[in-house]
Amino acid sequence: MNLRDRREFPVYLGFVAPALVVYLAIVAYPVFYSVFLSFSDFNPNKGGNWNFVGLMHYTRMLQDPNFWHALKNNLIVVAVSVFGQIPIGFVLAYILYRNMVKARIFFQSMLFLPHFLSVIVIGTIWKRMFEADGPVSGIIQFVTGDPSAQFTMMLHANQVMIPIGFALIWIYTGLYMIIFLANLQKIEDSLIESAKIDGANEAQIFMRIIVPILWGTILISSVLAIAGSLKGFDLIFGITTQGLQRQNALVLPIFMYETAFRDYSDPMRFAYGSTISNAIVVISLIMIVISNLISKRFNPGEEE
Amino acid sequence: MKKTLALLIVVMMLVPFVVIAGGQQEQGQKSEKVVVDVMAYGDNSNQEGVSWKRIVEAFEKQNPNIDIDDEMLYDEAYHQKVVARLAAGDVPDMAYMGADARWGAPWKEADQQWDHREYLDPMYDRDLIPAMGPNGEIYEIPLGTSNITTVLFMNEDLVKSLGFSAPETYEDMVAMVPAAREAGYDVVTIDGADGWAWGSCLMSAVIARMSGDPNWVSKAVAGENKFNDPAMLKTLEFVQQMVEDGVITEKSVLVDYGANTSKYNNGEALFMVQGQWVAGAIENPDVKAATQLMAWPELPGQKDGVEGSVAAAIQVGYGLTKKGASDPAVRDAALKFLNYFYSEAESTQRLRDGAIVAPILKGYEVPEDIEPIVKRKVELAQTAMNTEVIDAFLTGAPNDALNSGAQKIVAGQATPQEVADQVEKLARQ
Repeated sequence: MNLRDRREFPVYLGFVAPALVVYLAIVAYPVFYSVFLSFSDFNPNKGGNWNFVGLMHYTRMLQDPNFWHALKNNLIVVAVSVFGQIPIGFVLAYILYRNMVKARIFFQSMLFLPHFLSVIVIGTIWKRMFEADGPVSGIIQFVTGDPSAQFTMMLHANQVMIPIGFALIWIYTGLYMIIFLANLQKIEDSLIESAKIDGANEAQIFMRIIVPILWGTILISSVLAIAGSLKGFDLIFGITTQGLQRQNALVLPIFMYETAFRDYSDPMRFAYGSTISNAIVVISLIMIVISNLISKRFNPGEEE
Repeated sequence: MKKTLALLIVVMMLVPFVVIAGGQQEQGQKSEKVVVDVMAYGDNSNQEGVSWKRIVEAFEKQNPNIDIDDEMLYDEAYHQKVVARLAAGDVPDMAYMGADARWGAPWKEADQQWDHREYLDPMYDRDLIPAMGPNGEIYEIPLGTSNITTVLFMNEDLVKSLGFSAPETYEDMVAMVPAAREAGYDVVTIDGADGWAWGSCLMSAVIARMSGDPNWVSKAVAGENKFNDPAMLKTLEFVQQMVEDGVITEKSVLVDYGANTSKYNNGEALFMVQGQWVAGAIENPDVKAATQLMAWPELPGQKDGVEGSVAAAIQVGYGLTKKGASDPAVRDAALKFLNYFYSEAESTQRLRDGAIVAPILKGYEVPEDIEPIVKRKVELAQTAMNTEVIDAFLTGAPNDALNSGAQKIVAGQATPQEVADQVEKLARQ
């Protein structure tokens, strides 16, 4: 630190300190506390003494079938986000950017509209869509001619993520479309015009020019999608009813919530819930590292 | 520029002090008041929440030296906040609570249940307030008498229109199925998409009938009975039989609480299974007038001694915590508020709103002008034998397995034996 920096240090501190204090109190402290809890038998509701229990809760978690079921569902959500929302959002953004449809502003607004709604409201709307004799069942009844036909995917553990994945795409694709559109608009028109003059068709322009330029944006979007997918709680909580549906659609954050906040019969529920939370963080980090490695593998020059 | 920047920083740093100073001044004004920190139950769109706000406002007007500092939440949000506040050591002085495995568990675990007996006003009828602790402790003042969770609401007009009368046996209900289907009605509607409805509102009644023991559930939780004993197996088989007989439809596992009450309100079902509290949500005047509240009729395989029984739990209500009771000023202010909250006028209003079965006040007489549906509820409470509600004793994973197990049976994904074995296994872990 040179003399000038040292003189201006209090000013920097003045800017940083308030946010830092809030961050430490609201984010850092709970994170460290959660790590501590996961290695102890402490029940904050009961108080008293605590003991170090080592990896007991982590072992329990790895042996718990609910954990693997929730992880599988979470990975489906990640896959839907990364391989569904992002590519569709990218293609839609490109269609709008290249003016391939009329009423561009209308479509842009319509696609982004779900993002303005509360996720719990969206969950409730979709819950109504899937209920007995609801709109989706109505369509099935109309198509099959069977007035008793019902939409039952929400009742089956191996099918429940299909309607939920559809809802996820409906909600978040608009967000990625806007991100890609904003970045596409920064590309010089002359670049595309030059490619056209050189004889490139629309597909070649997309694959050879647009995708490489936006590779960084794709990576950032993937990181956002992975992190968002693993901590996603509200939509699945809102779209399912308590009981079989929520059990079928169990994801790690809901598993953590059900464990720590509802299972009063388990005196170590907070410690076990913290263990699940920590697992969510670790899994997120692993997936983000993997996505970075894949990104570098396919486009090594992007980061430089 | 530097001076301006420095000035800006100084001003920004002063802002919190000014705000804190302002807060302290306000605190100073408040310090003359006794502040009672309350966790209330309800929201601004339901009767419970609206009544709470009105009562607090009126009480504070009459008692300017008492400040009821409330935080009002509803449903899951309430339960989440209770857990979070207790775990954080932020214990309220008074709260909406119960004494069972769901509503009482976090308070019991945090050692915040306080025995009200010594301080209860004589206006309460002590015979109507059940013991909540091992030595007869009273941890909260119930909003009303026992909370019946397994009421069979019958639309009498609809039943009569099909040429039937109130069923005396389950077979009488089965006999209604063809005519009801022909007319496009469900026989019994249940919010089967909500797991708890199967346990609280249906199986709690059935298990007592199949076992002949009103206290079968608590004995099972204590290990005296097993959850895969014949009584529980027969209970789960009865759920399956209801679907096979068409009394409950398979699609009921896709009907949630709101859709269930709407279905009954719209006259699309002859019967509805729910707790007594839903009487207040029957708003269609024709359906309301035609509604009879009854216990389940005689079931196939039912044991003697439990005829016409209903499952009922101790009603939830407001109670002081140990923390609130530790300060005499807060304790007295809170008890004063409770006496106002449970006054005859407010209890009558709660009765009219359909929120309770009957008040717990000494010498209380049901007003003459009260709606027939409320009178029928009181009659049911006075005549039916009470048995235990499953989730008042069973909680966590085994309770979830039982409820979702019933849903799986209805959806054809599990057998009664599989569900019973799973519940027993989880209950003993």
